[in-house]
Amino acid sequence: MNAVHVKNLTVAYDRRIVLNNISFEVPKGSLTAVIGPNGSGKSTLIKALLDLIPYQGRIKIFNQKPSLALNRIGYVPQYFDFDRTMPITVREFLSFISPVQSQQATQICREVKIDNLSNKLIGELSGGQLQRVLIAQALYKNPDLLLLDEPSTGIDIAGAKTFYEVIEHLNKEHGVTILLISHEVNVVYKIADQIICLNTDLICNGPPRYALTEKVMHQLYGPNHEIHRHNHQHKT
Amino acid sequence: MLEYLALPFMQRAIMAGLILGALLSLLGIFVVLKRMAFFSDGIAHASLAGVALGVLTNANPLYVALGASSIFAVLISWFERKTKIASDAIIGLIFTAGMATGVVLLSLKKGYQPELVSFLFGNILSLQWSELYIMAGLGLLIIIYLMFRHKQLALMILNPDIAHANNIKVSLHQTILYVIIALSVVLGMKMLGVVLVSALLIIPVSTAKIFSQSFHQLMAYSVIISEISIVLGLILSIILNLPTGAVIVLTGIAIFGLTMAGQRLKLQFFHGQTG
Repeated sequence: MNAVHVKNLTVAYDRRIVLNNISFEVPKGSLTAVIGPNGSGKSTLIKALLDLIPYQGRIKIFNQKPSLALNRIGYVPQYFDFDRTMPITVREFLSFISPVQSQQATQICREVKIDNLSNKLIGELSGGQLQRVLIAQALYKNPDLLLLDEPSTGIDIAGAKTFYEVIEHLNKEHGVTILLISHEVNVVYKIADQIICLNTDLICNGPPRYALTEKVMHQLYGPNHEIHRHNHQHKT
Repeated sequence: MLEYLALPFMQRAIMAGLILGALLSLLGIFVVLKRMAFFSDGIAHASLAGVALGVLTNANPLYVALGASSIFAVLISWFERKTKIASDAIIGLIFTAGMATGVVLLSLKKGYQPELVSFLFGNILSLQWSELYIMAGLGLLIIIYLMFRHKQLALMILNPDIAHANNIKVSLHQTILYVIIALSVVLGMKMLGVVLVSALLIIPVSTAKIFSQSFHQLMAYSVIISEISIVLGLILSIILNLPTGAVIVLTGIAIFGLTMAGQRLKLQFFHGQTG
């Protein structure tokens, strides 16, 4: 069964086409990565899946229209720009989402490694800590699908490593379907079951070792990029 | 001093002040969080059109201004969502259009307009019982709405996309927020006037931010600071025989200054102890 079904999706801002007639499916329980250069339509794809922008074509999430499936989607945005001097604790920010049992809230905070940050102000968190808090807010809905828009942007190497560990844990241990936008091709090559390459058009779609060819990399990023293949097993 | 408290106009002023103090300071948290201080200033000036229309038609200017400001708030929200014009430019357009309409309308009425002067510079001591009832009813209704919806509003301001993903109807709640800010600003104009009303939205929350350690503390301390500024300002203005609105604002500013100084002293002392 598919968690996401996209058929002939086209999105245009004014007359500029950002996504051109793309079709793909995201299997339930998979970790799917979306890659592509800046301006390739990756964030626009997430916005269409969240029903935030008008689009042409068909999107089904768990066989429902996106607007009806929002209860099953957790979302972590690319940017979280706010007045950092505003005193809002992590616990209060998470309470803005929806009421959850305190036992469940404690478990989520432990899973994403923020259980020691409850009384800290969100304006005082590091990039990595804030990103994990944003994952926690997405998990408060107990989602079946997690949409992550370039979640490791602005995080240091240690923070990014912890972040990807959390993502893999949620996917493998809890069966959450994950659609992850990322610029880190070498990282997603290692952790993703499926890779979708976008550059306005759909350039590739499939398991990393088959989808990410030198030709595809050239189409996405130009001739000066290559991938370093690793000898390890993917869940295909 | 006590004999003043027995006077009906003074009782009305204190009651109105306490309601407006709580209302404007709570709303101020969202105004500061959304960085929309210019919105409240713009609405206050634009509602001059409503005041002028009330004066011209012999209707109560407060009621007409409440209607006009609500329309302006809905228009700003609509233009923000449906056009590519920058938010501050939209507010600037509405601001100047409302002011210009007010000036034109007022030019049609001959003679001195005491109502107009009280709206420009505020005069809470001239408040009528009927106006106090409207202020109390509307004010309490908005405060109850904020008590129930403050979490959704805060999330919507922090990140509209996350709010949408959590089934919050962002455009509806944004329009409601704009309308209740507009209504509250007009209610506040009776106390502080067009020119100074934004002060009660900004000063209490800015002061409370200095030492609050959570959002709930911020809400509580903003209201307390606002009420102290109003009551103290009211008393000082009577003792010193000075304009009430201006003295309330200056009292708020003084509390802000003292809090800042106190915080700096505390930090210096702390560094002295640890350094």
